[in-house]
Amino acid sequence: MNWKNVAHLIRVDMKSGRLIRGQRLTKYRESRLFTYLLYGGALALGLAVGATAGFIYSGVSAVADSQLMTLFHQGLLNLFLSLPTLVLIYSLVFTMMQQIQRSGVKVSVLVPYWLPITWEEHTLASILANFLGFLLASIIFTGSAIIVLSIFMGQVGYAVLTFFALLASAFMASAITEVFRILQVRFIGAVYKSSGRGAVWVRFVGSLLFFIVFYIVYFLITSGTGAIAFVQTVASAQSAVWFIPFLWLGMTLHSFINGLFLQALIFLTLSLLFILGLFYAAVVLNRRFGLYEPPAITVSRGVYAPRTGFLGRLGFSTVEAALIRKDLKAFTRRRELMYIFVLPIVIIIMPLMQSLGATGNPVLAEAAPFLFALVFLVPGVVIAMGMGNMIIGEEGGAMWRIYSAPISAKSLVKSKYFFIVFFSILVTIVTGIVGISAFHPSLRITVIAFVESLFLVFALGAVSLANGIKGADFTELPRPRMMRPLWGLINLIVCCLVAIAILIPFISYVLRFVLFASGQPAIDLYQAVVISALVAAVVTFVFYRIALKNARELLAKAET
Amino acid sequence: MTLNSTSTVELKGVVKRYSEILAVDNVDLSIRPGEIFGLLGPNGSGKSTTLKMLLGLVQPDAGSVNVFGIDVQEDAVAVKRQVGYVPESPRLYEFLTGIEYLDFIGDIYGMKTEEKRTRINEYLKALELEGREGDMISSYSQGMKQKVALISALLHRPRLLILDEPLSGLDPRSARIVKDLLHELKAQGVTTLMSTHVLEIAQALCDRIAIMYGGKLLTLGSIEELRQRASMPGSGLEDIFLKLTGTGDIRAVVEELLK
Repeated sequence: MNWKNVAHLIRVDMKSGRLIRGQRLTKYRESRLFTYLLYGGALALGLAVGATAGFIYSGVSAVADSQLMTLFHQGLLNLFLSLPTLVLIYSLVFTMMQQIQRSGVKVSVLVPYWLPITWEEHTLASILANFLGFLLASIIFTGSAIIVLSIFMGQVGYAVLTFFALLASAFMASAITEVFRILQVRFIGAVYKSSGRGAVWVRFVGSLLFFIVFYIVYFLITSGTGAIAFVQTVASAQSAVWFIPFLWLGMTLHSFINGLFLQALIFLTLSLLFILGLFYAAVVLNRRFGLYEPPAITVSRGVYAPRTGFLGRLGFSTVEAALIRKDLKAFTRRRELMYIFVLPIVIIIMPLMQSLGATGNPVLAEAAPFLFALVFLVPGVVIAMGMGNMIIGEEGGAMWRIYSAPISAKSLVKSKYFFIVFFSILVTIVTGIVGISAFHPSLRITVIAFVESLFLVFALGAVSLANGIKGADFTELPRPRMMRPLWGLINLIVCCLVAIAILIPFISYVLRFVLFASGQPAIDLYQAVVISALVAAVVTFVFYRIALKNARELLAKAET
Repeated sequence: MTLNSTSTVELKGVVKRYSEILAVDNVDLSIRPGEIFGLLGPNGSGKSTTLKMLLGLVQPDAGSVNVFGIDVQEDAVAVKRQVGYVPESPRLYEFLTGIEYLDFIGDIYGMKTEEKRTRINEYLKALELEGREGDMISSYSQGMKQKVALISALLHRPRLLILDEPLSGLDPRSARIVKDLLHELKAQGVTTLMSTHVLEIAQALCDRIAIMYGGKLLTLGSIEELRQRASMPGSGLEDIFLKLTGTGDIRAVVEELLK
């Protein structure tokens, strides 16, 4: 293993972030401060959080009785104990997400096979590069916090060991992601070969299912009481399932804290061997399939015969209909865009699981309308915001086609806006049906929720499209950006304000409900709907005009 | 250089600056209807910027750009309707199949269904993409992508073709088909403006050639006129180009490299 090669490859990966950081790509100067700011910030924050937690610990120990203090101390040690498993799951989700985002740009994951680099070096660099950035920063934050806290607890050795266990967990997760990435490329190849035209839909449904299962597991473990239950379960049941290799790092800590140093050494050795095994599995798979290219998906065969389609009958010009059809294919075929369809599913998973009693916390009768509103209103609106944000930036490098084709700003905005609204309403209908089935609201509530969700979709779709055009980012490496972060933030703030403005007529109903107040609300429900509709109409009109203006500027300044 | 009001393309005093870099420096250019015009120059000489300005993709800082008598800044969409364009590195929608992409292009240019069907099938057959048209573009080789980009430029029968390295990546047969096609289109009155670094292609195809260097238009004329201006009778375009652009000391460079 040539460690210098590994370091060079990792450095290249780190430098890929320049495209994101660099405002001026000519005469670019590296800002070392900015490059390492994330890690430095995480360390500083971790030290501060650790010190605060330490002072609280000292404060509690000064006033609490010894029995309570033992419980508190044990609780913190259990938290340390469960951290490697928690970081493993969290890192898995994070690194896999990262891979999926990068999958849209094939060139970024190409192996430089023509260079004198061994598969071991390439694989190790790929695994390490996977958890650079936010993931490593979060481990630095957690590690520094627990080490400082451990000084107050008198458990420095244990905390240092935990910190290394966290790093090892992240490496383990990254290695699993590497194995998964290679296998799924090969698996996808086999699916393409066997399913022909259906491969597009197999891929679409498969990707959604993967995300859904992943999120259910992730949310069950990390959310609310689930997280506490998880820590308790890992801490107490770990030794019963010691044979699961993913828990060996936790077992090392468990043995160490209980003074079983030989057992700790055995589990530490087993953990390292397991990580080494994962690494070599990734190397072997990379050697075998690293350069494998999935075969082409053949979508259509036979003589080409164009169809007019129903969009023309709806009043769209051929240009607008062509753009809508193209976007439909983009959102169902590009894996980094399929993510948008996962959001509504993720949003409704938790309330639904709660309503079905899956989390062990039955839904209070008072909370049911709020959960219903969450299921009904939010997914479609999130789709409208997300699609509006990225529907221009997703064009990426192929944007030259839009620039050079005879597409007017009006056609561009009309087709994109229709697509956003159409999909968002479709999602609202589907999640609405799910919400009605789960929470059984009254007809009046159902109708109002549906109408309000339409208002929000129309208004926030227009707002997000206007901002999406203004903040479009066509950078595709190291991953498709689609939207500049600043404009993403601006859009979020504006959308929140607009949503509040549209829903404000219902405030007296919400307050009456929350405060258990009796008497008549300040405004009739139907009057509230009418006012809400007026606000939504004005917002939609104004932001649609802004979107048109932004589109005219975008098409006229193609070089920026 | 005289400016002609009946020109297909007319640039007057065009300037384009990117912060400190002067990409195009006071260029006057007139291209006649039905001619194949070559725009040559070393890397960074301002060729691609000039081509982009013709489509309104880049706004000039000064001067005017007219195509078919239309001010590009005034009505870029009207110009784009009559132009077929292939950029230097055409990025296609990789999630579409070849046929879906061309169908999309046909719709964008408002082609009639029957005309679209006939012409797409003709081009697919001519450029040997038949049998692969139903595959996603992401699986195409570079040459196949170039063929799709070329078809998308030719599909709607444009009156002006703007081609930036049009034969890049094409196999010899397809390259020959494209060259012959450009000659046929010229006979039909279609104007072609192409930029290339392959000087043999420019010499074989172009009626007139302009050479750009450092954003300026160094010279313009037929091959014969360029030979006279360079005082290099009987020379090939490569030698003329190297002399005019002052990059001709090739021997010394090679010797330096071999030291």
